[in-house]
Amino acid sequence: MLAPAQRQITDALSTVARDGAVRAGRGLSGLMGQEIAIHVPNVRLGTKSDACDAVGGEEQVVLGAYLSMTGDISGHVMLLFPEKRAFECVDLMCGQPIGTTVESDELALSAIGELANIVGSAFVNALGDYAHLVLHPTPPVLLNDMAIALVQSVYAEVMAQSGDILMIDTVFEDHSGETAGLLIVAPDPECINLLVREAA
Amino acid sequence: MSTLVSDQRRVSVGIGQIAVSNDPNEVLVAYGLGSCVGVSFYDPATRSGGLVHVLLPDSEGRVSDGKEPARYADWGVAALLGELTRRGASKASLVIKVAGGAAVLGPANAEKFKIGARNAEAIKEQLKRLGLRVGAEDLGGTKGRTMELHMAAGRTYVRTAASSPTEL
Repeated sequence: MLAPAQRQITDALSTVARDGAVRAGRGLSGLMGQEIAIHVPNVRLGTKSDACDAVGGEEQVVLGAYLSMTGDISGHVMLLFPEKRAFECVDLMCGQPIGTTVESDELALSAIGELANIVGSAFVNALGDYAHLVLHPTPPVLLNDMAIALVQSVYAEVMAQSGDILMIDTVFEDHSGETAGLLIVAPDPECINLLVREAA
Repeated sequence: MSTLVSDQRRVSVGIGQIAVSNDPNEVLVAYGLGSCVGVSFYDPATRSGGLVHVLLPDSEGRVSDGKEPARYADWGVAALLGELTRRGASKASLVIKVAGGAAVLGPANAEKFKIGARNAEAIKEQLKRLGLRVGAEDLGGTKGRTMELHMAAGRTYVRTAASSPTEL
């Protein structure tokens, strides 16, 4: 792929990610009854190693969720947290001091699933609006596995059709503190062409 | 497992890569096989062995540029057999283990993400085509696996994020 096209895609998806973050923050705040802001300070294309490094390395056990988008186009969306960050996120969502949650019990997993649902769906909806497409996020599948196994499986899927992994650093913040996860988006090639057209 | 852990040198075998060894202090490791499949060969006679980390089922006739010599099942199995026979291993004595091919993005997506199952199928087909018999396998499921070939005794171990290593 040509560098200018890559830059166009990254720029377009940065716009989508920022819009998605605002929507997700609104949804999350409404659900939790407290202000939770979501920022996306960094949007970049990367390799599978880059994605694993961003969540603590290949063998790091991560928590998160996967959802796919269906409709006019298809693609893959995954929100991943190193375990410690996931627990911090659960604390933020539950309005309890960071450090309260220390294990991935049922409550923690369902909170992460809900969070991924809100963030992933917001991104998919923002993308749909941006590219004038009808897109539907699928229900999230909870993930708790080695980072590389998850990233590799999405990578294999898009590499089978050729494509890049888009990595969006996602920061969650409330009045008492902040934590961060990684949103991975792997659009299908058809989606990339559409985005290039929209961004042009 | 060996008690000489401190003397062991771990050699990471990345996606699409191959490693061969006859050094008893080496452990060849494929970390976090999701839909990928790892294949280990060990020849007790020459005490040589190898591990490949396969990403996709079929090269569809593409020729390797050498960067990822085990990217596809057909490339990987042929490359591993070639490397070991060059080192004097005989086809008949190879101990062959296969692991991976999971649907880590959930059973609900297993139907969509068929790559794990297709990889496992392709590996077995390649082995069969080359007249090689699988000694043991740990394939499918929904959990990622790390696969290790310990050159000291030619043993292969598999573990998941939640389980300790067990011999395959």
